[in-house]
Amino acid sequence: MTPRSPVRVVGPAFARRLRFWIQDLSTELRHHVAHGRFESAIGVTVGAVWLAIAPLFLLCSAVDFFDGGSDATALFLSGIAIGLVGLLILWLSEFPSSLPLKRLFAALVCGALAALVAVTIAHFTTGVAPTIDASLAEGAATITGTNSSTIEPDQLSLGMLLFRAFGQWLASAALIVVLVRISPHLGVGGLDADGGVSTRSARRLAPKSGSTMARLLLLYTLLTFLLLISYFLAGMPFIDSVVHCLTTVSSGGFSSRSGSIGAFNSGAIEWVAIVGMLIAGTSLPLIFRALRRGDLNRFLRSIEFRTYVGLVVSGVFAALAWSDNWPTTDDVRETIFAVSSAISTTGFVASDLTSISYGTEAVLLVLMVIGGMSASVAGGFTVMRLMVVSSYIGRELRRSIHPAAVEKIHLGRSSIGEVALARIIGELFLSAALILPLALVLSADGLNFEAAFSFAISALSNVGFAFGLNGPEEHLRMLGAFGHLAAVSLMLVGRISVTPLLVTLGGLGEPMQREIRRWRLTRHERAVR
Amino acid sequence: MRRVSVTPVRVAGAGLLAAALAMIFSTAVAVVDGGEGVTGLTVSALLTALVGLTLFFGSQISPTADSALAFASVAWSWLAVSVAGALPFLLTGVIPWGQFDSALFESISGFTCSGSTILSNFDAVPQGILFYRSMTQWLGGMGLVVLAVAVLPALGIGGLDLIASEAPGPTADRLTLRVRDTARQLWLLYGVMTGIVAMVLLTLGMSIFDAATHAFTTVSTGGFSPHAESIAYFDSFPIELVLMVGMLFSGASFSIHWHALRQGVGAYRRVSEVRWYLSLIFGAFGILVWVNLEELGWLQNLRESLFYAVSLGSNTGFGNSDFVLWMPAAHLVILVLMLVGGMSGSTAGGMKVLRLQVVFKYSFRELRRARHPNSVIPIRLGRTTIEEQIAAKVVGFVMLYLGLIVVGGVVLSGLGVDPVTAFSGSASALGNVGPALGEAGPTSNFLVFPRAGRIVLMAMMALGRLELFPAMLMLVASLRGLDQSRQRRDREGSQ
Repeated sequence: MTPRSPVRVVGPAFARRLRFWIQDLSTELRHHVAHGRFESAIGVTVGAVWLAIAPLFLLCSAVDFFDGGSDATALFLSGIAIGLVGLLILWLSEFPSSLPLKRLFAALVCGALAALVAVTIAHFTTGVAPTIDASLAEGAATITGTNSSTIEPDQLSLGMLLFRAFGQWLASAALIVVLVRISPHLGVGGLDADGGVSTRSARRLAPKSGSTMARLLLLYTLLTFLLLISYFLAGMPFIDSVVHCLTTVSSGGFSSRSGSIGAFNSGAIEWVAIVGMLIAGTSLPLIFRALRRGDLNRFLRSIEFRTYVGLVVSGVFAALAWSDNWPTTDDVRETIFAVSSAISTTGFVASDLTSISYGTEAVLLVLMVIGGMSASVAGGFTVMRLMVVSSYIGRELRRSIHPAAVEKIHLGRSSIGEVALARIIGELFLSAALILPLALVLSADGLNFEAAFSFAISALSNVGFAFGLNGPEEHLRMLGAFGHLAAVSLMLVGRISVTPLLVTLGGLGEPMQREIRRWRLTRHERAVR
Repeated sequence: MRRVSVTPVRVAGAGLLAAALAMIFSTAVAVVDGGEGVTGLTVSALLTALVGLTLFFGSQISPTADSALAFASVAWSWLAVSVAGALPFLLTGVIPWGQFDSALFESISGFTCSGSTILSNFDAVPQGILFYRSMTQWLGGMGLVVLAVAVLPALGIGGLDLIASEAPGPTADRLTLRVRDTARQLWLLYGVMTGIVAMVLLTLGMSIFDAATHAFTTVSTGGFSPHAESIAYFDSFPIELVLMVGMLFSGASFSIHWHALRQGVGAYRRVSEVRWYLSLIFGAFGILVWVNLEELGWLQNLRESLFYAVSLGSNTGFGNSDFVLWMPAAHLVILVLMLVGGMSGSTAGGMKVLRLQVVFKYSFRELRRARHPNSVIPIRLGRTTIEEQIAAKVVGFVMLYLGLIVVGGVVLSGLGVDPVTAFSGSASALGNVGPALGEAGPTSNFLVFPRAGRIVLMAMMALGRLELFPAMLMLVASLRGLDQSRQRRDREGSQ
């Protein structure tokens, strides 16, 4: 006879499992406290992000203090708190010896969420955004580079203005780090969803990925300084130039004025912004190579760049052709501005977008969806993925006539593998599937159909402005808590991309899935018996 | 007489003869109605029959047959029928000759089972013409079933192949040994269902004319009604219930109905597409009820939400109120229903539930592959595995479908239509639904689109009914045919 266990286990199987799981967890915790650090990539990432962002709090707090602003104390205290917690987490964690793919995804997502939490805390503690959901929306807009806000920039203190602008700049710098250091390891989904085509060019810049990253960051910084000087020379005040150069090069779009770039009412400033936005939408490795060798023909040789420019030119021509009146020089400039702002997903506004023609509105929406080039800091689906999808459709059309044909998809000299193709298409459909319920929430929260749909597209592509309301930037202000949460989700999905987010969420649900599967199997066995 | 061996010409001739038959029936209705429009209808019938007979007997089926040629034949016949179908509107004076494109729009909308109309004053339209409109939809619906059942398996892709891989046991293309018999069985089912719907509507108090026309457009999921207010004209819940059952039936695969008749209701249960189809419609119903909670009273909410969930889920397009006045969130649900449409192998339009299933499975497989990069995961629908090549074709189709909606929406917006009307009109036309959102709602008409916009919509309706790829095959096969005949002529000339 089998001896009975001394411990009497009561309750259903699921409760038993839960108890065992809690016991395991507490044993593991005790072990780690006794023997040292946790092996956790998530812990290292979160700690590093918080530790890196804390100096920004302190810097902006100092600026605000000397400017006589009211946010200095809140920024200082929250910066100290975030820095200390980051340091503690970093001290408790160490990088694991082996890192499975799903953990890498989770670390990436948790890093972005950690940045979101930090920026949300800044907005909430300073009282800039009155509610948690509004702070969360502001935080998401900052870290994803979306020009969407519940706040009038004119009412912000200098410290918070700089904090938000630097936040967007740092987020895009972090994107470059991810592009060079993490994406190649992911191999699937997310930022590397074009099968490594964009990161392949980034990886070839230098023998070591560290040097590549340093070079790209240097280029990014140089471009920022160039824009700062250009804005200043074009007649923008210095502080405004600082804010705008940071948010132009990062394709973020936050402005120091309520009317965005249009508030300066200067053609020269708008031209500087146009050039800056188009650069932000261009592949950084491509710019680096062209500048290093002094070979500007590299731009012309890149099929993706040619398509990008072609899209801008066609967008401008279509918008001008469909406008109600014969365009003046100002109209041409403002159309180029709007098209550049949409395709680079910056979101700056220079003119009254509520009075544009329906055709222009549709063109801008399509350009928002497409977004900038791959390996750039712009959001959207990216030009390269659009080209891949177009080639895929063409191939399937040809295959309907010649079913046995074996055809590979080429972009310039690179060929795209079937796995990469499937990833890109999966990403496209998952984003489309996600946008529908979230647009439903936006419309249920008070936006009209046009406003809800255009804002959902705009938020997913990290642009900011949208249509259907009295102003292009009114949408986030019109929304309640649920709407804000939907907007946050869209912005995050747009920046991190849907695959890492869902893979991480799937990881969280894995124990539950395991239990459900086990429960179903037990039920089936019982039924068979 | 020497016959030309061109299959598309012969099939187009047959199509024209069928259209002429519809015109003759409509003439009879016009005679009973008091004679208004009889001359126009008779002349149209004679002209169409004459051209049809000439084409039919002046040609024969080509000795060589391939899938591209089969689709080209069907596509050309539909185009010929659409052009001839515009004649009754012009010859009866319902639409003036100066607006030939409007007559063509009405005809294409009829034969493609879209249900979008440019008619505004229905009281001034003779009953013969209203009957004829409904018959065009009935013919269009029947044509699609034939196309799906008799032609698709020969092509080796799309609709029926997917049904075949989905349905366990005897598959749709094996209803009977011969394809022609299969088509006949499905025609019979289609006709019987039309008869049943008409009879039930008659017993519920509709006139014979209304019962027949509504039965035609229900079973074909067309959506034309002889009344400007559509089904709201009757204001009767029993009538709406019957139409809902009819629409739900017609939005499902006819071959599955055939199996269900032989094997019992279990045939439905075995097909996952049926579950998805019903879940989609009833899920949309639930969301619509939730969204409209504060806008409508309880009973009215349930009635209108259910009616529109079924009407748009089956891509019929009947209306019992003006959904344009609903909350914006409801419009989003309506748009999704328009996009998806009915089941594969049904008379409904849209991109079809089966394709949605494949795309979903395809996308979620990529998520699983992201976690486990070396895993090999097949795409399963129910108990059947879909081949990679078919999955790729379906994915390509869906992307092309969505891309065309975007292109259509941008072009219509450029022509001065507001984006909501433009994009929903584009989705409605490509999905052969009928009403759109914005200014082109169920109580409005498509005159809100400019003339050039209506031409774009016509092209989209035709593309949607021909399921995109066949439209391209039509072009390729026709060009190839022209090339071959030129080569033959050259050879004969040199001899």
